[in-house]
Amino acid sequence: MSIRQLNILLADDDKDDRLFFKMALDALTISTQLTTVADGEKLMAYLSENAQQLPDVLLLDLNMPRKNGFECLSEIKLSNTLKQLPVIIFSTSFEQEVVNLLYQNGALYFMRKPAEFSQLKKIIQQTVTLISQDLPASPSLKLQQSRAGQAGNISQPTRENFVLTVQNSRVI
Amino acid sequence: MAKINNTEEDELIIAHNELTFEIKEKEKLAAELRIARKELAFQIEQKGKRAEELGIANKELVFQNDEKEKRAAELIIANKELVFQNKEKEKRAEELGIANKELVFQNDEKEKRAAELIIANKELAFQNDEKEKRAAELGIANTELVFQNDEKEKRAAELIIANKELAFQNKEKEKRAAELGIANKELAFQNEEKEKRAAELIIANKELLAFTYISSHDLQEPLRKIQTFVSIILENENENLSETGKNNFQRMQLAAGRMQQLIDDLLAFSRISTTELTFEKTDLSIIIEEVKTELKDTIQEKHATIEATEICPVNIIAFQFRQLMYNLISNALKFSNPGISPHIIITSSIIKGSKLNNEKLSPEKNYCHITIKDNGIGFEPHFRERIFEVFQKLHGKEVYAGTGIGLAIVKKIVENHNGIISATSELNKGAQFDIYIPA
Repeated sequence: MSIRQLNILLADDDKDDRLFFKMALDALTISTQLTTVADGEKLMAYLSENAQQLPDVLLLDLNMPRKNGFECLSEIKLSNTLKQLPVIIFSTSFEQEVVNLLYQNGALYFMRKPAEFSQLKKIIQQTVTLISQDLPASPSLKLQQSRAGQAGNISQPTRENFVLTVQNSRVI
Repeated sequence: MAKINNTEEDELIIAHNELTFEIKEKEKLAAELRIARKELAFQIEQKGKRAEELGIANKELVFQNDEKEKRAAELIIANKELVFQNKEKEKRAEELGIANKELVFQNDEKEKRAAELIIANKELAFQNDEKEKRAAELGIANTELVFQNDEKEKRAAELIIANKELAFQNKEKEKRAAELGIANKELAFQNEEKEKRAAELIIANKELLAFTYISSHDLQEPLRKIQTFVSIILENENENLSETGKNNFQRMQLAAGRMQQLIDDLLAFSRISTTELTFEKTDLSIIIEEVKTELKDTIQEKHATIEATEICPVNIIAFQFRQLMYNLISNALKFSNPGISPHIIITSSIIKGSKLNNEKLSPEKNYCHITIKDNGIGFEPHFRERIFEVFQKLHGKEVYAGTGIGLAIVKKIVENHNGIISATSELNKGAQFDIYIPA
């Protein structure tokens, strides 16, 4: 477990969804720092500007203007500097074929936006915990690992565990 | 001529004979003379006196002798003449002989020619016969030809009739061809129209897909936000709300929840008909196990047992069939009898299409018959068709939640598999679903 602050980047064009996400995150006990971008183009610009100080995780909406989540995911996974960034898809719609494609394209998890705020809080907490568990002790170490070409990022789960669901039974 | 010659010859011969006779007489006389001379000479010798007398007589005799010699010379000349004449006559006789031989030769030649002519005549007679025979034969042949000619004329007449008939038929066929051409154009036009309609349908289908996407995303999103805001208000403003206000927000939450379910089900229903269909040989029992895992919580909660025996492999669109099994099993669990633990029995078997006697099924094919039987509340028999229609529900949403799409999806999936589904039930006596899909 890392004690340092988790850097989260959220790419979502919907103002309400960004608000929900911030509210849910603020309700958590885990200390996080949230950055938000409003579309795919802004996301890619942000990532290239901050290539040396990448966030710990990217939460990516699919349906965005100018450049959608699919395009962003492909660009990130094709880029040598960005491909190790963990990408969690955060979407309203849920279609098997879309989910399969995202898994093939290297997304870490798929998360469906819940309708209930309590569910949203739970799933965000689960996700943050998952990421924190695999997080390197410091950003500098992460950078070193990244330079060494080792798998400093979190490895992709099996297809069955790719879709994150709210687990009531799980004690967090 | 010959006869004339013969007469002359005869005369010559007679003259000759006379001459010869005379010559012989004279020779006899000469011989007698010589005897006489010898007598005289002897008498001279003997009679000497008589010599002078005899001389004179002798002289007389010489004279006479001369005369006789003259005559003999004349006779010689005459004889020569006769010899000459004889030779001439021999020449002539020779000539006659030659002429005779010539005649004989000519005669022979004539006879030869006559013989040849006889042969030639016979030949001509033979040829004549042959020609007569041929003429007879030609006569027969001619008769035959005349007959054949008649026959040919008859046939020609028949052919003319047949030709007219064919020409008529040809015209009829041309008429029909023209009619077919028109019909063909009409069909081509109809075909084009159908293609246009098909193209329009494809466009309409694409529009439907676009609509599906709008439903899927754009409608879900505002709905989800309403739900989220309501849940935030209920959570954060709980103390500030009156009981009625809380109650109204809760009803709002339920309505939004039903709407979300409705949208999800509609999406599933439209996805069944729009996604690509890939058939694969699948073990149905694996699918049943997956569904059982998915429904684990409900199964435990209701103490349900699911028996799946004698399950044969089937050629199916796996993900669709998973949905089908999920809908049927979850239905059986949902409409269970409150007092009795749900018991679901799933079986399958192969059956000949000919035994099923259904117009939608081919008698030649083998079918996989899958049965899902439960011991739940069932339904009245007259609802057995209606339950498969979209939005058709037999119970109020307060009693059994649902959108009335689940069985419509099931039916659509079975139809995608070129099969049929039927339901049989009586109220409170459980329900049985029979599926037939090509094995």
